[in-house]
Amino acid sequence: MSLMTMIVKMSEGLGKTCAIFFLTLLFSLPLGMIVALLRMSKVKLVSAVTRFFITILRGTPLMLQLLAVTYGPYYLFGATVARNKLIPVVIAFSINYAAYFAEIYRGGIESIPVGQYEAAEVLGYTRIQTFMRIILPQVIKRIMPSVTNEVVTLVKDTSMAFTVSYQEMFTIGKQIANSQTSFTPFVVAGAFYYIFNVIVDYVMGRIEKRLDYYR
Amino acid sequence: MAEINSSTGAAPSILSIRSLQKSFDSVSVLRDISLSVERGNVVSIIGPSGSGKSTLLRCASFLEHADGGDILYDGEYALHNGVYAQKAELARFRTRFGLVFQNFQLFPHYSVLRNVSEAPILHGENKDEVHARALELLKKMGLEGREKAYPYQLSGGQQQRVAIARALCMRPEILFFDEPTSALDPELTGEVLKVIRQLAEERMTMVVVTHEMPFAKAVSNRVIFMADGVIVEQGDPKEVFDNPREERTKQFLRVFER
Repeated sequence: MSLMTMIVKMSEGLGKTCAIFFLTLLFSLPLGMIVALLRMSKVKLVSAVTRFFITILRGTPLMLQLLAVTYGPYYLFGATVARNKLIPVVIAFSINYAAYFAEIYRGGIESIPVGQYEAAEVLGYTRIQTFMRIILPQVIKRIMPSVTNEVVTLVKDTSMAFTVSYQEMFTIGKQIANSQTSFTPFVVAGAFYYIFNVIVDYVMGRIEKRLDYYR
Repeated sequence: MAEINSSTGAAPSILSIRSLQKSFDSVSVLRDISLSVERGNVVSIIGPSGSGKSTLLRCASFLEHADGGDILYDGEYALHNGVYAQKAELARFRTRFGLVFQNFQLFPHYSVLRNVSEAPILHGENKDEVHARALELLKKMGLEGREKAYPYQLSGGQQQRVAIARALCMRPEILFFDEPTSALDPELTGEVLKVIRQLAEERMTMVVVTHEMPFAKAVSNRVIFMADGVIVEQGDPKEVFDNPREERTKQFLRVFER
């Protein structure tokens, strides 16, 4: 098989790679905020339970979580495995990344001086106004570098979908590598991820720059 | 010490505090504090660090939860026998006072104008009117033309003046200052004290926690000396500064003599 054919075949899976990537961000970024707020809840039980789930999600391999979400329902309840693997894959990725984002958000929120809350309170901002207008914008600026790190990692982690045979770019590459006994598809995959991340870096850099108007 | 002239039958004091108590864990920070502030007066609170001055202001502005006593604004109870008014009522009380923090606490992601004007706009006031008022206040604070700047572009003294404009834009009846110059370089304290002095001349009601003794003496109608959570002595600034009665006051003021 020629290099060109490999590239064409593998790029057919790029749409699915992108689907995992964008859908995961779409769900995990807001979900992470909810998890962070639960984690910081003053109700001890809520924060303890949330903390427990975060340790599970961060303390076990994403690969296992993918297998658990995809095949777990079958082994537990005899449910049929989803035909479209995108759904379990995105669920597993979103939950896993939400746990990481939650901890980033929490760090960011806790780094805002308490005086900012007090100033807003004295000026009569409601709690929601204080969070949305005063705290969150400052948190977003502070956590951008950490979020960029996670997003870059996510690009590469999409390859993990091969464990449940979801036909994204890396899975196709791996199949070609097996059938052709060639290492070339992995080099192609590496190039694809690298280009993807150059774009991610550029976009995140632009966002950080837009937040640069204050210190 | 008994409070001064709050029960003479005339208009109630803007702020009266009676037997206020506050402990952090087992440490008693305010023990039985009583004072009242009359309209148009400037009251300075002086005293060594840890005496409870800031805690007193923070209790008066509901940032700290007092354990006991009364807080009244215009004769209405915000705190009655250690029990706070309903949340909605506290929100209404909050519109009566402003607080200027030691560390300014401007919102770094907002321009100067937005820092000053956002809160009144959120309270439903007309945006153009608030902006006009904000610009006027900034002018008064000597910050004309700086409305588009961000806090990090300003000196500490300028930031504190923005913070004062922000508090004033809410049109408070009484303004609290919590060591407004303590975080400033010495050469910048003057410009902040100057605007506070100007407000005093305009008969703005103010309570100022400060270590600036000459300022307190010159500007206040009354000086309160606090130590260890109690009001040791209070009265006319000239009396308290030049002729203190209590040994604890003399001891404290001696440090500032040079």
